[in-house]
Amino acid sequence: MVRGMTDRALVGFACAYTPLPLLDAAGFVPWRILPVGDAPDQAGHLLHDNLCPHVKRILDRAMAADLPPLAGIVFMSSCDAMRRLPDAWRVARPHDRLALVDLPVSTADDAVEYFAAELRALAGTLAEWHGSPVPDERLVEAMRRYDGLAASAAELRARLARAELPGGAAALQAALNDVTTGGWEAASRGWLAGPDPLRVLDRRPSASFAAGEETVDSRLSTLNALPVSGVPVFVFGNVLPDPEAFALFESCGARVVADDLCTGARVLASLAPAADADPYVRLARGLLGRSPCARTIDPAHPGRAATLVLDAARACGARGVVAHVAKFCDPYLARLPAIREALRDAGLPLLVLEGDCTRRSLGQQRTRIEAFVEMLERR
Amino acid sequence: MIGEYFSGLAHDIEGKLAAEPGAASARKIFALEVARLGVRLYSPGRPVAWCGVLAPFDLLNAVGVTSCFAEFVGAMLAGMGAASAPLEGAEQAGYAADTCAYHRAVVGAAMQGMMPVPDFLVATTTPCTGGLAAIENLARLFRRDLLVLQIPRAETEAGVRFLAGQLERLARFAAGRAGAQLDPQCVAAAVDLSNVTRALMVEIYDLARRVPSPVSNRDLANFGIVVPLLMGTQAGVDVARATRDELAARARDGKSGVPGERFRLLWVQNRIQFPNPLLRLLEDEYRAVIVVDELNDVTWEPIDPADPFPGMARRAIGLPLNGPAERRVARLRQLATEYRVDGIIQPCHWGCRQGTGIRGLVQRGFQELGIPVLNLEVDCIDARSFSEGQLRTRLEAFLELIAGRPRVRA
Repeated sequence: MVRGMTDRALVGFACAYTPLPLLDAAGFVPWRILPVGDAPDQAGHLLHDNLCPHVKRILDRAMAADLPPLAGIVFMSSCDAMRRLPDAWRVARPHDRLALVDLPVSTADDAVEYFAAELRALAGTLAEWHGSPVPDERLVEAMRRYDGLAASAAELRARLARAELPGGAAALQAALNDVTTGGWEAASRGWLAGPDPLRVLDRRPSASFAAGEETVDSRLSTLNALPVSGVPVFVFGNVLPDPEAFALFESCGARVVADDLCTGARVLASLAPAADADPYVRLARGLLGRSPCARTIDPAHPGRAATLVLDAARACGARGVVAHVAKFCDPYLARLPAIREALRDAGLPLLVLEGDCTRRSLGQQRTRIEAFVEMLERR
Repeated sequence: MIGEYFSGLAHDIEGKLAAEPGAASARKIFALEVARLGVRLYSPGRPVAWCGVLAPFDLLNAVGVTSCFAEFVGAMLAGMGAASAPLEGAEQAGYAADTCAYHRAVVGAAMQGMMPVPDFLVATTTPCTGGLAAIENLARLFRRDLLVLQIPRAETEAGVRFLAGQLERLARFAAGRAGAQLDPQCVAAAVDLSNVTRALMVEIYDLARRVPSPVSNRDLANFGIVVPLLMGTQAGVDVARATRDELAARARDGKSGVPGERFRLLWVQNRIQFPNPLLRLLEDEYRAVIVVDELNDVTWEPIDPADPFPGMARRAIGLPLNGPAERRVARLRQLATEYRVDGIIQPCHWGCRQGTGIRGLVQRGFQELGIPVLNLEVDCIDARSFSEGQLRTRLEAFLELIAGRPRVRA
């Protein structure tokens, strides 16, 4: 139980492709293990130094027991680094219950069908963990609840794009973190879906263990004080969970109008409506069909990641694009040249920031961000 | 440049073999068939496919497509001492130096016109995310059709069915590109040849297990990773048979590959592909022999020629590089035990999240067996960062450590 917020057991997850409605339907509260906090660097004993810092920070937290009690952890085989995480976790915490779900790289029909079979197998594992089966109707209901959350998140994003969201992107990120680190149940009961979705933040202490005793109230008052004006930019990449990171962008004169990050817009993205009668096929198609991480490819359109970034940046009216990529992240590093080329051809400036999931690493980039914003202002 | 290199190499070896048929060593026959493959890749004629490492090359050979994994070009460039220019080209184009140099070299070579434009490309999701991205980038650069083989992580019924279906579609597509319909009899004939090659590989590795081992440090270098390119062809059978015969003759005559064999080593994953003195150091100064490479292994069952796709699917899924690290570590431990090795050399190829990523887990697995592991921080392709003195010192210290230990091999 997390600080009085839920009496349901938590199941950890680390990837935006995790089937959160299925975890919910199985009777668990999804709890995202974010690469935050001050756990000492121990992951290097098990994984090489040149592996994704997102994965290593998560493993650091596991090795330092910087996690709430988890009934189990669900991993997705999204990339090499994510595959290495359960490998190392089994050694670091051999008594934890782990599930690894195979994740196809495309949205072809047979890939959807295979992924649905994987999700059915996961339902069996979750049923074992919980001690009760997962009826189809409960999954259908959980997907409906999830789409309600996604609609609320979409509304928040729309307000962000219109510069009508108090606290800007930092407040939105704080809300997303809270929903996925214990606030799921509260949010899905309607707190997030009310007339002021952000009021969920005012109701309770932070669920984030890393946040310690800091309350969301105090954090939000700081964030509300920040301006929500500036040069509109679009941010994409993998993990950027720290609200302070967005506050940094905004303090440099940028206004984040939209993002495509695995800890941001891809967290509570809507499952596209699908006609499939089988809820597992519907869930599989929905998860694979959302805005993709760079690890997901469209064989009919090699290099599609570049098109998607360009389209998203244009759609939100950004005057510049920021790529935030965790070091050693092959899926993004390999696609950056094509993305750079597409943005250059379209006349949209790009700033690439490599980070190691610490606030310090981003803080060191302040001068570059300021210079980038100044350049955008002069255009 | 690479095409001319292959043509020259094939011509030279053919000339030598014609002049002196008795000098046809197994390694020479292997080199000749690799050169001939290179010539086919760089010559107009048959359709060409650049692929991921786990593509079914026997299937593609069966339907008349010349195919090769793209990393092969990176390795060849490194072997020729010519990888620097494509690596620098890729880096200048924005490909991060933190990524795998096999893939950077290949993308750089493609940008510099050093790779033939293929008819299509086949990416595989295993062994690594970087390889998948490299093939996607090649498809973008060449503007050619891309097929993706999604290799499940575990051998479940659904997984085998999923991959088998993809393989059948690939076969039909590739046959179409070769201007024909898929002919099950051609595929069956190729599978028969693959099965013969597989059986010979099993014999080869059985021979290598002997104490002393009949293999030297070069006899089977890159063997298990390159022979699959020749699977489904008579050339593959010929190379494997020549290798088997040569090792069997040595074993019969009581000759060891490294005279006075003193230390037996297991080499994890890939060899260092550019010229370097480390193998010579192992043999000449320490009489240490790499009796087994991780990639010199047969982990699949013979494939049913009448129903080849499920067997090919199982072959790919069952590869230890696929699936959880504990399966791979278990297989490495089994190899170490069967080959009675004294030590493990693990080159931690910079930028490899697949193999190098689990460095600590491999080391831990061998610690439990009491077998020492040397982690060599090295880039197997990019000689620009090679520090011979440092590696020599570490290798020497490692071998001295082994020398001072009681033998654990049974």
